[in-house]
Amino acid sequence: MKLEAKQQIWKDYQKEIADDRYYYARSCIRQTFFPGSEWAYLDILGNKLGKTVFDDPRHTTCTGIGYHSDVVPVETIMTVVARHFALMTEAGFENITPSCITSFGIYTEILHTWQEHPETEEQTREFLWKATHREFKKPKNLAHTSDVIYKFRNEIAALKQHSLTDVHTGRPLRVVDHIGCHYAKMFPSQGIGGAEFPAVLSGMVTAWGGEPVDYPERRHCCGFGFRNYLVLANRGYSVANSKKKFESMQPYEPDFIITNCPGCAMFLDKWQYTISEMEGTTYGKNGYGIPVLTYEEAAALVLGYDPWEIGLQMHQVSVEPLLEKMGIPYDPDAKYRNLRGEDMGRPACPTYLKV
Amino acid sequence: MSVIIIGAGAAGCEAAFRLAEAGIQVEVVEKENQPGGNLNNWYQLFPDRKPASLLRQRLQQCVSHPLVHLHTGTVPVKIQRTPQGSFNVNLDDGALLEGKALLVTTGFRTFDATRKEEYGYGIYENVITSVELENYLANGSLSTSTGKLPQRIGFIQCVGSRDEKMCNFHCSKVCCITAVKQAIELRELFPDAEILCFYMDMRMFGPGYEEMYREAQEKYNIKFIRGRLSEASENQEKQVFVKCEDTLIGKPLRMTLDVMVLMVGMESSDGSRWLAKELGLNLAPNGFIQASDPHYATNLTNVEGVFIAGCVSSPMNLTDTLTDARSAALAIQEFLTIPIHNH
Amino acid sequence: MQKLTEKLKQDIHYIESLNSCMNCGVCTAICPAAEFYCYDPRVIVDTVQRQNEEALQELLKSETIWYCGECMSCKTRCPRCNTPGGVIMALRRLSQEEGYFTESEKGRQQFALKRVLGTNILEYGYCVTPDIVRPEMHPEQGPVWEWIYEHREEFYERVHSNYHKEGAGALRKVDDSTLGELRNIFEVTGGKAFLDNIEQCSLNKAQEMGMDSENYFLHTYMDNNGKHQ
Repeated sequence: MKLEAKQQIWKDYQKEIADDRYYYARSCIRQTFFPGSEWAYLDILGNKLGKTVFDDPRHTTCTGIGYHSDVVPVETIMTVVARHFALMTEAGFENITPSCITSFGIYTEILHTWQEHPETEEQTREFLWKATHREFKKPKNLAHTSDVIYKFRNEIAALKQHSLTDVHTGRPLRVVDHIGCHYAKMFPSQGIGGAEFPAVLSGMVTAWGGEPVDYPERRHCCGFGFRNYLVLANRGYSVANSKKKFESMQPYEPDFIITNCPGCAMFLDKWQYTISEMEGTTYGKNGYGIPVLTYEEAAALVLGYDPWEIGLQMHQVSVEPLLEKMGIPYDPDAKYRNLRGEDMGRPACPTYLKV
Repeated sequence: MSVIIIGAGAAGCEAAFRLAEAGIQVEVVEKENQPGGNLNNWYQLFPDRKPASLLRQRLQQCVSHPLVHLHTGTVPVKIQRTPQGSFNVNLDDGALLEGKALLVTTGFRTFDATRKEEYGYGIYENVITSVELENYLANGSLSTSTGKLPQRIGFIQCVGSRDEKMCNFHCSKVCCITAVKQAIELRELFPDAEILCFYMDMRMFGPGYEEMYREAQEKYNIKFIRGRLSEASENQEKQVFVKCEDTLIGKPLRMTLDVMVLMVGMESSDGSRWLAKELGLNLAPNGFIQASDPHYATNLTNVEGVFIAGCVSSPMNLTDTLTDARSAALAIQEFLTIPIHNH
Repeated sequence: MQKLTEKLKQDIHYIESLNSCMNCGVCTAICPAAEFYCYDPRVIVDTVQRQNEEALQELLKSETIWYCGECMSCKTRCPRCNTPGGVIMALRRLSQEEGYFTESEKGRQQFALKRVLGTNILEYGYCVTPDIVRPEMHPEQGPVWEWIYEHREEFYERVHSNYHKEGAGALRKVDDSTLGELRNIFEVTGGKAFLDNIEQCSLNKAQEMGMDSENYFLHTYMDNNGKHQ
């Protein structure tokens, strides 16, 4: 594989990312499964990089999961999104940064539809006024939160406490990236690096000392498929598609998977457990799984945050082998303690997956 | 009074010869150091597999006519109309040519396959273009990047053609038959390899083409799969992993190829684009120069005195290019003898 | 009378998603649903572009329009700038508006989705909240999730979230006035009517199938007749 040609493609897809004053749009899945990532993101932006991020208590879901499960009509989601624009406008912000890839795709799609069909924007304005008496300006800049971290990847590298390297051998960690489908597949020009060779995550990996590894099924969907996970009867679709990816990446012996979509992070983590229970198969070394990190978690580890403070104990696939490779100190008992230092017991052990 | 021809590919050389035979002085401008154009990259012609070198010799003879003056290794930098309507063409070597009529035969350029990002050309080691394959065939050898003989080779049709995302709506016409020809040539090099061709439609429009397609299936065991390539990637063995749908059975298809050949389409050449701007010529939506009328004025343009021939107006095979060049020579002769102009 | 066809052609997803299809198959080639189900998005788009009323009606009642996962990978690749996934969105909307969705097992699942997502959105202000990811309904989440779920109050506090509390931050309680605005939006834009229609059509179907609403919910959430692959 010739990297120079890839870099040319990355150069062709540069997008504008605002450098300060972000209105934060929360992700339903991230707050549920990776609340520590969210906290790390806000803390890194605010306290390490000195940026202003507004976390608005009046913000709600964008209803995107409902929209892509076809129970929320387009007129409704447009108006919900318009309300977020209104809150942003009222708070004096112009740059909106969704933390969710589904939301990012929806915001992009809606702005595109409004441009192509101005009557839909007009109708949305009327709906919003009727429902909430709010008015809005469209954002000047729309970027996913992973775009923001990408933008400051070198600033983060300058502050790093740990590298994405194996401290015992000096070898750069092999990292496979998984980009959420709705990041750039719908609107390639809106993603850093485009749809085929996105650089948003591999750029971070490189900046922090790791080695991005390509593999044949890199672009394949994690298998969320909305209704295909949400309805229990359909989950075979979801597991089967993740399995396809694990099998394709396993020969490259990745040290971890990095994703920019909270849903993908959850599935790629949890399905390794499910597959191990169903078939006894594990994809990491010595019976472990392949750890899955959100980009916020990767950034936080690099910056020296405590693994349990950023919620790595929520992962089903153990991160300890990775922490050991990176030489990150951790207290194994603190993993299971609450804020007051009391023990919360232990999760049960899976049958096959080593934890 | 002379005629200026820009581009000494098949169309330019043939038109030059026909005009010269009619007693007209011809100035031919060619950016490369030799005539022949895209034909210089070719090994054998379809459908008769005549060596391309024979055609190149013929073209060379055309421009060796005493009334043809060939300027190689130079391009026009400025073109002006005189009050009498003739053309003053400044070349970058300092020469100034004057002609009563101008024939644009700047041909085509092949599609830049790196633009079709999902196929990984330039990134994956065993992805090559049909132009590169022609070169390998001329040398009589092809091996993978790891030095092995390929066991499975796939031809991918419509790369940069019939593709709105690439801003190329048009069909490049000759890729279908080129792949058939190249597949047969590869079969002769690799008797045991599996050779596949992924296509949407096999457009066998020329004499002998359909017969060659059939022969490829029956005699040379080339497999044709109806499905456009959706995605390629590279595995650890540096093989190309491809995904398409076999649309005739309606099932997704995955396989690895040792070498993947991209049948790159035709686009309007850089020279054509520059000349169109310089001369104020109308372009068709696909970027090729638009003829005055698609039926009875295929060699005329919207600018009086400026003529076109060959792939400058649309993708053509060699047969049609040569025919079109003779037709242009006739149109120019009519123009020179019937004084209708002036500006 | 081309009633369904005409209605479909008004849908913004249809308008944005279908120019014309040349049956090249690039969509099916990389479709995760085609990989798993007996499913071919190319054939659906081709059926739709024929504008045959009977064929369209059959499609709206079929299982096949419910297989797509809306990953939109097809949008990247189509050389005609179509989006088969967007055509699916238009078909699914029409199928629900016309009440045809209850004719197929996969279509009936809209009831489960409506119950789960509709409730989450309008009651909690988010599509997903930890409280409803009950381990018994989500065995695939594994023992770590079970442990978190059990200790969620203290656990979420440990990772800096504002679980069930007022103010900003992850997992906070969305205040009543905000929820009121969200509900008003659903009311004004037809979102509420759309959900109510799913509910009504589903309850009718439940009655027809001789089930109460709870059993019908379980049917739509759990049942898989094994004939989809």
